[in-house]
Amino acid sequence: MGGSGLGVALLLAEGTAAANPLSEEAALAFVFSPLVGSPLTTSAKFAVVSKSPLTQRINDSLASSGFALEGKKTGFDAIVLVGQARRLSLVVIDDQQVRIEDASDLAGMSNSSCQSELRKRLGKKFQLATIGPAGENQVHFATISHNGRHAGRGGSGAVLGAKRLKAIAVRGSQVVTWYNPTGLTSFAKQLSDKSFGPATAKYRELGTATNLLMFNRLNVLPTRNFQQGSFAGVNSISPEELKITRDRVRSSCAACTIGCEHLYSLKGTDDTVRLEYETLFALGPMCGIDDAESILQAAKKCDEVGIDTISAGGTIGFAMECAERGFLDAPWLRFGDGQALARAIDMLVCSQGIGRLLAKGSRQMALEIGRNSIDFAPQVKGLEMPGYDPRGLQMMGLGMAVNSRGADHNRSGAYEADFSSAVDRRNVGPESVHLAIESEDKAALMDSLILCKFLRGVFVDFWQESAEILHLVTGLDVTATELRETAKRIVNAKKRFNIRAGWSPAEDRLPTRMLAQSLPEDPRSSLSPDRLQSLIRAYNLARGWTEDGWLLSREGQV
Amino acid sequence: MRVTVELFGIPRQRAGVPETEVEGSTLGDVLLELSQRFPALGEACLSGRCLKSGYIANLGGDQFVADPDIRMRDGDSILLLSLDAGG
Repeated sequence: MGGSGLGVALLLAEGTAAANPLSEEAALAFVFSPLVGSPLTTSAKFAVVSKSPLTQRINDSLASSGFALEGKKTGFDAIVLVGQARRLSLVVIDDQQVRIEDASDLAGMSNSSCQSELRKRLGKKFQLATIGPAGENQVHFATISHNGRHAGRGGSGAVLGAKRLKAIAVRGSQVVTWYNPTGLTSFAKQLSDKSFGPATAKYRELGTATNLLMFNRLNVLPTRNFQQGSFAGVNSISPEELKITRDRVRSSCAACTIGCEHLYSLKGTDDTVRLEYETLFALGPMCGIDDAESILQAAKKCDEVGIDTISAGGTIGFAMECAERGFLDAPWLRFGDGQALARAIDMLVCSQGIGRLLAKGSRQMALEIGRNSIDFAPQVKGLEMPGYDPRGLQMMGLGMAVNSRGADHNRSGAYEADFSSAVDRRNVGPESVHLAIESEDKAALMDSLILCKFLRGVFVDFWQESAEILHLVTGLDVTATELRETAKRIVNAKKRFNIRAGWSPAEDRLPTRMLAQSLPEDPRSSLSPDRLQSLIRAYNLARGWTEDGWLLSREGQV
Repeated sequence: MRVTVELFGIPRQRAGVPETEVEGSTLGDVLLELSQRFPALGEACLSGRCLKSGYIANLGGDQFVADPDIRMRDGDSILLLSLDAGG
């Protein structure tokens, strides 16, 4: 189809699943989608797909706006990069012409400086995807950035950096056409109208950061490296408080009517920074920090150097606990210290001192530290966990354990079931695994169409309406049932890639801390290893896989 | 029954307060009382005795509930929040 699904298919076709993702032979794909350039709200998105240096498994991360729109107009549906430049370079795709230019002068530049410099050099019509110094230095959770938005998770920026590519520039002049323009325009208007409704009000008015107080109340806000589920300093960093004490502006991706982005002012500058729930949790409670300015400054720094805020906060929070326990010789690295957070970010970007460990993420760091620290490294398959404590949100716990990308809230939205009357979130049973599967399948399709997940609440019948959208755009006669099958094939393709990359059933788990200790504030939030295993078995069988999670096809068993 | 209602996200924005106390025998009674006391909250999040799509209630931090006929007990706490997470 497009987006993540097409990207995984392209990577499988390259046949390099077993390769080191930072090697010359590894492939990285920028993938557009059928809907890019259409009048459908939130459709201006692109996917970046590669093997992750953080997880050594499949990684697909999404970003939005001008790069997607302009890239589609080049006439290419995807850009697959293999090989390695001799020196730091820039790939320029100007309609159907592709050239590689020297970019040595851009070395060490932040994302915003690099994009500003390239706009001067190439002209404003070019749209740019860049890496910051973290990508150049192959920090395992480096991002690829475009206009302040990021293909954030899993370290695709390090893969680009390993190819010595500082940026991709695209400019196109082709016109995107649709099968049924009149019908599509009418459908798009209805979808836009619905996107102004109550299902998206929270994104518009407060942004995703408004989850913070609710998660804190339910004791599922990961705090001090998942040692607690609530944070005493939560009020001072909540968006409800920040909007009173700071200037705030709202923004949106190109071609989006929701406008979920909330940018907060930084003290002493005219600058602002986007703040999402995940960034807020990871750089705040996860590191024990209740000083809003420290969190906002750290978020800005992550954006500029080009690192994923969830993995940054998760890895540094883990390091803070290691330092506290005496496992790491860094007495300055203490929970609650905003200056220590900033220093740790600086060190990991250039692999200085303990930054060498931090730059590899919490799993690799734990393996090098030893002393059973892997038990409390906040990761699944090497990907740092998002801000959902799986002990009190057990459907989400299953989603994080089994997902191909690792611990993740965008490829599995199983938390939707936890926040509903459909399950008891503290005592989820195998009879409910279909809810996790439905969420994962929906995400697979949305990431391949591509549409923003914040739209999911506005569909009455997601599968049927998606079939209608695809027909209006492409003319394909596809049914809702066929799209469900397509989504399952995408999930299977990711699994197939992982199997070829060396996956084994033992990877589908949660950190030992989550299975050995209940949440101190809420002893009923407890998930035993046996119960998680029973959920995983039920999930695998419901997927049509073996009980252990192997694909049934001969190919998948390799 | 006297019930404490804790408000989060859009419900809090519309009501203008983080918490309030209301009388009601059922969840539906509580929601109706909230609508009357905070018309902006009622308009955005509630439809008579029910929650509008996109919003959910939680009983005491434990169980998520939507059935307006659920009985309240004196001293119960109801959390009113936006449905989707994400971010």
